[in-house]
Amino acid sequence: MKNDGPERSDDDYGKMIRSIAERRDRTAFACLFDHFAPRIRGMILRTGASAEQAEDIAQEAMLTLWRKADYFDPLRAAPAAWVFAIARNLRIDGIRRERRAQVHACLERVEPEGPEQPDHLVNADERQRRVVEALKHLPPEQAEVVHMSFVEGKAHGEISKCLDLPLGTVKSRLRLAMVRLRQALADLAEEETP
Amino acid sequence: MRPIHHPSDLLLAEYAAGSLDEASALIVSAHLALCPHCRRAVADFECIGGALLEQVGGGGFDTQRRGQAVTAISADLSQQPVPRRDLSVADSIEAMIDVYGRGPWRWIGPGVYHRRIDLEDNGVRAFMLRGAPGTELPDHSHSGTELTLVLKGEFSHELGRFGVGDMEAADGGIRHAPRIGNEECICLVAMAGTIRLRGLLGRLIQPFVRL
Repeated sequence: MKNDGPERSDDDYGKMIRSIAERRDRTAFACLFDHFAPRIRGMILRTGASAEQAEDIAQEAMLTLWRKADYFDPLRAAPAAWVFAIARNLRIDGIRRERRAQVHACLERVEPEGPEQPDHLVNADERQRRVVEALKHLPPEQAEVVHMSFVEGKAHGEISKCLDLPLGTVKSRLRLAMVRLRQALADLAEEETP
Repeated sequence: MRPIHHPSDLLLAEYAAGSLDEASALIVSAHLALCPHCRRAVADFECIGGALLEQVGGGGFDTQRRGQAVTAISADLSQQPVPRRDLSVADSIEAMIDVYGRGPWRWIGPGVYHRRIDLEDNGVRAFMLRGAPGTELPDHSHSGTELTLVLKGEFSHELGRFGVGDMEAADGGIRHAPRIGNEECICLVAMAGTIRLRGLLGRLIQPFVRL
């Protein structure tokens, strides 16, 4: 990718978000903007939004990142996954008067449960890397429905119509993809076994 | 106490993808507030979104808009970072429901009260139900999917016991007759379609129940 500046890792982006939380680091913001804003726009465009809507959402997502940097917990989420969730909420709210983002804000504020899970939380970036790898190895028919669900934001019923497949087939492909993903993460420490 | 009955991975993935209807998403959000295990699962599924976001690739961005954003963070007081403030689980769930607003509790049958939540999306409605201790709800079935999350107390039926934080997903066609436990039970429900009551009691009260 040209014009994309130096290669940076999840860890670097995570530090930049923390730096905003801790000292309102504007240089970090500019850097995060240059990396994520075009990607968010690209993702939103794939939902069928206009270029203007996509840029609005990307811009708003970056401002949300700035305001809510303190909610980013590098032990809990990789930066890309966290930014995805912000953009997803804004995309949903494009048609829903900001309510989804408000509900999400309530959930984010739930107090963490103390000493519940120290070991498996140290590896959010490792989890992200595993998921990236697992996605590369999904069979194409599973990758297709995952993409339609997560990037295009299509409900299972819509996917079934678009692909002219029975709803049950769409669901089972997604379910299989989630199983593979879980397997890819299985050996990373999980909380207590029920 | 941790919940025992969880949403399926498929439902959590749909939530993480952002393709779930809003009423169901509210019920899942409330379950997540109560369930660290499912919060972890959703975080893992959001990694899929993160990975696909990275794959979309970069490119330029409107420089004027970039400038606006940088100006906003420097100058606009409403855009300043807010320090994290935690909420208790109960307050978080109350606040989620308050995002939509709700009506008063209304009697809908012996020992059963209904409270509207002003939320309907794609034919799925959200509401609250409250049952008095020991109440047996009439045998009923659903025409669509129903998600029920216990906020207080417990109920049980053929498929098990559901306590605080437990979520039941009943598909259309499932028939059950829940019984409320020994204390008052309050549930948050997302329902597609309508409830069909069965039995004599059900037929008697059906005209009053507009669920």
